[in-house]
Amino acid sequence: MNLSKSTESPDSLDTNSSRTIDTGVTDPWVERLRGEPDIRDAAITELRDILLRGLSASMAKRYGGCLQAEDVVQDALIKILDSLDQFAGRSRFTTWAMTVATRIGISEMRRKRYQDVSIESFTSEDATKIEIAVDDGISAESNLDRGSLIETLQGLIDNVLSEKQRFAIRASLEGLPVEVIAEKTGSNRNSVYKLVHDARVKLRSGLEAAGIDSDQFATTFA
Amino acid sequence: MSLSKDQTKSLLAFVASSKSDEMDCDSCFDHMADFVEKELAGEEIPAALQKVQRHLDQCACCDDEHNALLEGLKALTDQPS
Repeated sequence: MNLSKSTESPDSLDTNSSRTIDTGVTDPWVERLRGEPDIRDAAITELRDILLRGLSASMAKRYGGCLQAEDVVQDALIKILDSLDQFAGRSRFTTWAMTVATRIGISEMRRKRYQDVSIESFTSEDATKIEIAVDDGISAESNLDRGSLIETLQGLIDNVLSEKQRFAIRASLEGLPVEVIAEKTGSNRNSVYKLVHDARVKLRSGLEAAGIDSDQFATTFA
Repeated sequence: MSLSKDQTKSLLAFVASSKSDEMDCDSCFDHMADFVEKELAGEEIPAALQKVQRHLDQCACCDDEHNALLEGLKALTDQPS
């Protein structure tokens, strides 16, 4: 299943996530990082130390510590230096830099953690089927007719969602992060998130159109 | 694929909490630094940033990175160079 942009369905958004935004913000950090070589080198060394200390704390207990901060800090620095134009000045520079570095660090850990997980189990002929089992273990404490809800929801899944949306929903329910689904299907995170989001909104709208109040079923199945 | 009880509950919970005007991952990232600074300062989250919290409630990837960022920034505050 390829979830990248296609003319088949309007569900996929623009897969080009690279953005060039020159915010024109001047900040002491930005000025130093764009300064003369000795000033720039000193700023890079200082920033590297900050990122290393911050990432060491945030990465240590995640994904079994499969990567160390040292493994990603260089990539983070390169990304930050390449993205200085995107610093909008709404936060301190170091907070923004840590935000960039954290996304790179956690993404790398996530990639490593799921590198051996195959998407093949989701590409079999029934990959896009989602069947809601009637399970007496789900308690219905309100007066909502659970059978009616399940039947309506199943009908919406089968008839309203696109194949790509069913695939993305199914993979998500199996516990695969959207970023991993994107990587393994040749798409990108934003597009897969939108695919899942649009599917959820369609299901909610469909249930409401059928007279099933979403707040009611939310509390019923909480 | 037949959904388990927990998967059915998860699907219904996500469907119930869906809003048509949710922020996407890239927009969430663009506002994350501003958002966490206000969180760490204990400031009220302005209306313009409340979509960030709604996105975090829906997106496990962004929420994980948000929590990691908070831990990293707290470490920097607790152990300044």
